[in-house]
Amino acid sequence: MPDAMIEFRDVTKRYGTLVANDHLSLGIRRGELMTLLGPSGCGKTTALRCLTGTIQPEEGQILLDGKDVTHVPTHQRELGMVFQNFALFPHMTVQDNVGFPLMIRSVSKPERERMVADALRLVRLEGYAGQYPRQLSGGQQQRVGLARALVYHPKVLLLDEPLSNLDAKLREEMRFEIKEVVTRLGITAMYVTHDQGEALALSDRVAIMNRGRLEQLGTPEEIYESPRSKFVAEFIGLSNFLEGYVQSIEGRDMLVMASGLAVSTPALPAIGPGQKVLLFLRPNEVEILPQDAPAGTNVFAARVDKATYLGDTMDYRIALGQGVELRVQGDARRRYQNGDPVRLRLRRVRSWTVTD
Amino acid sequence: MTLLRAYLRGVREGWFILGYTLLLCLTFFIAAPFLMIVLRSVGKGWFGRLWLPPQLTLDWYRWAIEVGNIPEVMKNTLIIGAIAVAISTIIGIFAGWAFGRRHLPGKEILMAVILLPRMIPPITYALGVARIFYTADLVDTHFGVALAHVSVCAPYAILVLSATFESLDERVLEAAAVCGANTIKRFFYVVLPLIMPGILASMLFSFTSSYNEFTLTLLTYGPHTVTLPVRTYLAVGDGYWEITSAMAVIMVVPSLFILATIQRRAKPEKLIGGFKGV
Repeated sequence: MPDAMIEFRDVTKRYGTLVANDHLSLGIRRGELMTLLGPSGCGKTTALRCLTGTIQPEEGQILLDGKDVTHVPTHQRELGMVFQNFALFPHMTVQDNVGFPLMIRSVSKPERERMVADALRLVRLEGYAGQYPRQLSGGQQQRVGLARALVYHPKVLLLDEPLSNLDAKLREEMRFEIKEVVTRLGITAMYVTHDQGEALALSDRVAIMNRGRLEQLGTPEEIYESPRSKFVAEFIGLSNFLEGYVQSIEGRDMLVMASGLAVSTPALPAIGPGQKVLLFLRPNEVEILPQDAPAGTNVFAARVDKATYLGDTMDYRIALGQGVELRVQGDARRRYQNGDPVRLRLRRVRSWTVTD
Repeated sequence: MTLLRAYLRGVREGWFILGYTLLLCLTFFIAAPFLMIVLRSVGKGWFGRLWLPPQLTLDWYRWAIEVGNIPEVMKNTLIIGAIAVAISTIIGIFAGWAFGRRHLPGKEILMAVILLPRMIPPITYALGVARIFYTADLVDTHFGVALAHVSVCAPYAILVLSATFESLDERVLEAAAVCGANTIKRFFYVVLPLIMPGILASMLFSFTSSYNEFTLTLLTYGPHTVTLPVRTYLAVGDGYWEITSAMAVIMVVPSLFILATIQRRAKPEKLIGGFKGV
């Protein structure tokens, strides 16, 4: 990849028999904010630690700004990093924490003070320079962490689950703050998280990892709208899955029999009757209609199993076919009760072939 | 029900009273001999029949200092203490780093070996030390006596510093590395300030163990290396109770000073733990 600021080339790292990174190849473009997203143990942290140089991959290369840094020690990699547990120096004031990378680089004192003040202004912490980390709230500490990471204008910014130790409301706020700072500076950033909400809200592109491999790489929209596998679909957003067999191909559509339901969906390339497929529906792509609604394609009789009021939406578990239960979300203004007979219209059904 | 509760409260208060009484007895039990020594050291013509000495004097202190040669003895004690503290702390830093930071195979066994000099009867251990020192010509040298003391000081230093290093947050060191600090700068700017409380605690513990050490000194000392506990013991042998008491009081003063420092300046548990997290 020519314009990559950070590049993983075939990086493999094993812990005993466990393969934490399995020939991982990934390029992060200049000025891009990319999220490495995945459940714990998917290898995202290993990839990050390979990039910081805390651990060494067994195979492959890591390039920073076109230079091979695979065997360069951490302190020479010119990185900025924000840690999950903040990792501030407890014995230093905010001023000294943020100024630490500059002191290490022997930046003159007046210059250092100016740069620290700039960095603190960037994270809206002017006036806190004399405080110690323990005197600050979690959110403030993380902003100090961000200032420390950015103060010497590193080539890349790494964020290791920076919001996990904060409470829910603060997390939302900080999301936008981080996004804004990164965008304003135009810095290349790699953001590691297991929180899909953060990933979708923040990223230019998302890399979803699973068992040490890259599962899918794309913009948040691509990832959400066209997940390439069940793993991705399950990990991002709410999903319903139905297993079935192709019954017939009708032009550009195919008819799939799944648990007694004949579902019409766009035909997959090179597919024939009898093949096993997995149908995938988002909860907001299913429409609940009154019982007397007219029949049609992908309209099925169903019954509300459990209705849950969520404020702006209603969350339903709806039974249909032979023992199928779908998770559906609907407008809270039009409510159905438990046990109500309804009709469901599947507005959009996507599918994958199943190979097993 | 109320009756039961009242009964239980009665029992509990009864326990409180009993507990306080016992605590008071214990305090007296600990304080009485000390009180005795203090009175003895300032009393004149006091033969134990009276509750308090009939006459007060500081003569015994003068005698202790002049005849007992306390300044010289104190100097020996402090020199030996300083050497023992220096060696123990250096051992403690390296061993503590290894114990606290790395997953050593057989860590428990190693720890047990280190603690051994503290577990076996001091005289047994001291005999062995003396035997070796006679061969190695280390008897009656400050360094030799200090080295013997290290065997009891170092375990403290290692224990305290292991705990300190254990509580050192790996992520903070990683942050320092990412910020551009190499190993040496990481040590001086981050590790050292963070383990400083632990080092101070270990130095205090080491110093008090060396300062109070009797058995090991008794078997390795000589005319040039008499320490305070040994000098006091010898004075008892000579039968001068008043002078001995004065020496004992002089000896206690630095210990009390250290205790007061620990109590006031830092919570001991904090010293041992270093900085826990942030």
